[in-house]
Amino acid sequence: MSDRSEADRLQQETWLQRTIRRPEMGAFIVMIVIIVALTWASSGKAFNALGLKNNIQIIAQYGIIAIGAAALMIAGEFDLSIGSMIGFAGMSMALMLKWGLPFGLGEATPLAAFLATLVMTLTFGWIIGNIVVRSGLSSFIVTLAFLFFLRGVTEVAFRLINQSTQVSGLEDFKEDSWVAWIFGGEVFGWFYDAWFWIGQRFVDMGYGRTDQWFTLGGNLNRRGEQWVDGFDARFFWFILLAAVAMFIMNRTQLGNWIYATGDNKEAARANGVPVNRVKIGLFMFTAFCATLFAACQVFENNTSDAAKGNLMELFAIAIAVVGGTLMTGGFGSILGVVFGAITVGLVANAVFFIPEIDGAWFRVFLGAILLAAVFANERIRKRITGGI
Amino acid sequence: MATPYLKVENLVKRFGPFTALGGVDLEVYPGEVHALLGDNGAGKSTLIKTLAGVHQPTEGQIYIEGKPVKFRSPRDASSAGIGTVYQDLALNQLMSVTRNFFMGRELKSSLGRLRMDEMNQIAHDEMKKIGIDFSDPTQAVGTMSGGQRQTLAIARAIYFGAKVLILDEPTSALGQKQQMGVLKTMMRVRNRGDIAIIFITHNEIHSKLVADRFTFLALGKVIGAGSKETLEGDEIRRLMAGGANLGDLAAELDEVRAEA
Repeated sequence: MSDRSEADRLQQETWLQRTIRRPEMGAFIVMIVIIVALTWASSGKAFNALGLKNNIQIIAQYGIIAIGAAALMIAGEFDLSIGSMIGFAGMSMALMLKWGLPFGLGEATPLAAFLATLVMTLTFGWIIGNIVVRSGLSSFIVTLAFLFFLRGVTEVAFRLINQSTQVSGLEDFKEDSWVAWIFGGEVFGWFYDAWFWIGQRFVDMGYGRTDQWFTLGGNLNRRGEQWVDGFDARFFWFILLAAVAMFIMNRTQLGNWIYATGDNKEAARANGVPVNRVKIGLFMFTAFCATLFAACQVFENNTSDAAKGNLMELFAIAIAVVGGTLMTGGFGSILGVVFGAITVGLVANAVFFIPEIDGAWFRVFLGAILLAAVFANERIRKRITGGI
Repeated sequence: MATPYLKVENLVKRFGPFTALGGVDLEVYPGEVHALLGDNGAGKSTLIKTLAGVHQPTEGQIYIEGKPVKFRSPRDASSAGIGTVYQDLALNQLMSVTRNFFMGRELKSSLGRLRMDEMNQIAHDEMKKIGIDFSDPTQAVGTMSGGQRQTLAIARAIYFGAKVLILDEPTSALGQKQQMGVLKTMMRVRNRGDIAIIFITHNEIHSKLVADRFTFLALGKVIGAGSKETLEGDEIRRLMAGGANLGDLAAELDEVRAEA
């Protein structure tokens, strides 16, 4: 009895208990429910060849910025300028491609346009980060200022340089620029080739009809050829970004610093974590994510306008929270954010596959699930910190 | 007597017109617990913050192993072997024991990857050495008791090379049993023989239980110092009260009672 120690009172958890209590579990379950419900309600159309491509397009868009927003939230800060940064980056690239590089440096190649834009957006991220860590002001208000500032700059630049807030009909740079192609091209074509090939075998053998999703549904054009032959390039970027972010957050020193910064800044600083540099770096990371988002958009469609990226900062934060990231920082998981992006992306697109429903239900759903997620996350936080 | 690891001579710290420390002397020997006692506002916090490199002294000199040193930052102090465990412990509740243990000083391999298994092992072993066998170092610190957190912070300071361990009221805000646990931890550290402990406390009983040497501060000055043998129990109590006799206090209280 006397050698009973404090440590014995903490029950060892089994593998199953640990798995269930992981931060991304809630987001995972919601995602599965949505996938099943959507498959059923759309009679499989949501996941036929074209449906899958369209869903992944929006999932990857949300995912790219939500990963940036989540990493910053884990470090204890917000970035409301993401949406305007997307607009700014899109404007910058489109105007350079149409009117040439600034200061009369001649025609812009896609690479030059992208790099010049990236330098500007990273600089903005650096400025925002410095203002936040030096002034000690809330990042909410500082980045709100940049939300207006950058959107205004975007519109003004469009009108001054282009006389219109829209650039359309740019030449299709994907044809002969690999830079344009890696942002706006198509990836993972082998997936659709394999799917089409297998479906073709089923049809040859007399199983199923060609309009069923597991055979060739949605992937035959009028001539009976394969129609969809790849995902948007942003799917590749999303996977890459998620993998790198997951690796950094869970396995590296930098990840430990990010969690430490968001949990208790002073404790982290007292132990030698360069708190300010971590935060500034993450503001630059969200700016990078916004630029990536914009590059995919510009090079895919060869257009841009002043309203691009509107409200995206709020979607990014909502998805981060749905994915299990704490509003107060110090806790969250990139995998959870990936699940969150899939969930929100699928629901945002659901109206295209289930035409009976009103598209506005998406926002009703997002509001409800966001509130539920905040409560769930708060419970997790209380459990870990012993109810304080 | 051996040379003190840390020696402070005539330390003065002024904040504008306010003199927080008015010439403090202190000697700290390895393998000893040195209790630093004093009422609120006596200057204990200023003294330890000066030793920890947070404040620079206005006058006076700090010696480490007989050599004069100057701390420009907390980092200077910690590389000179001064490990400070503040009351808030500088721990992150949501992070695991191991991640807290190595916070800011992680062991890494290529690409900044953490050597997690090795770090888990070290965190576990170091904490076991000074008294708690915390079986699962991947558990969040938020799930630990106050005494366990204190042990974690102490183990961390020692592992990263503390030769002088400054403990800022480690037993306040703990329950009876956990207070005893922390005192036992301190004794284990003392028994290693190579580490000096500065034990800041309000608690006369705790200080008498573990301390080898005492220094009493009041209003920024040392009002009494000495080893366990040279100080009588009543003297300790008198100095604790800032120099006043308990008899005087009783008389003052009686006066107040009479007013009623």
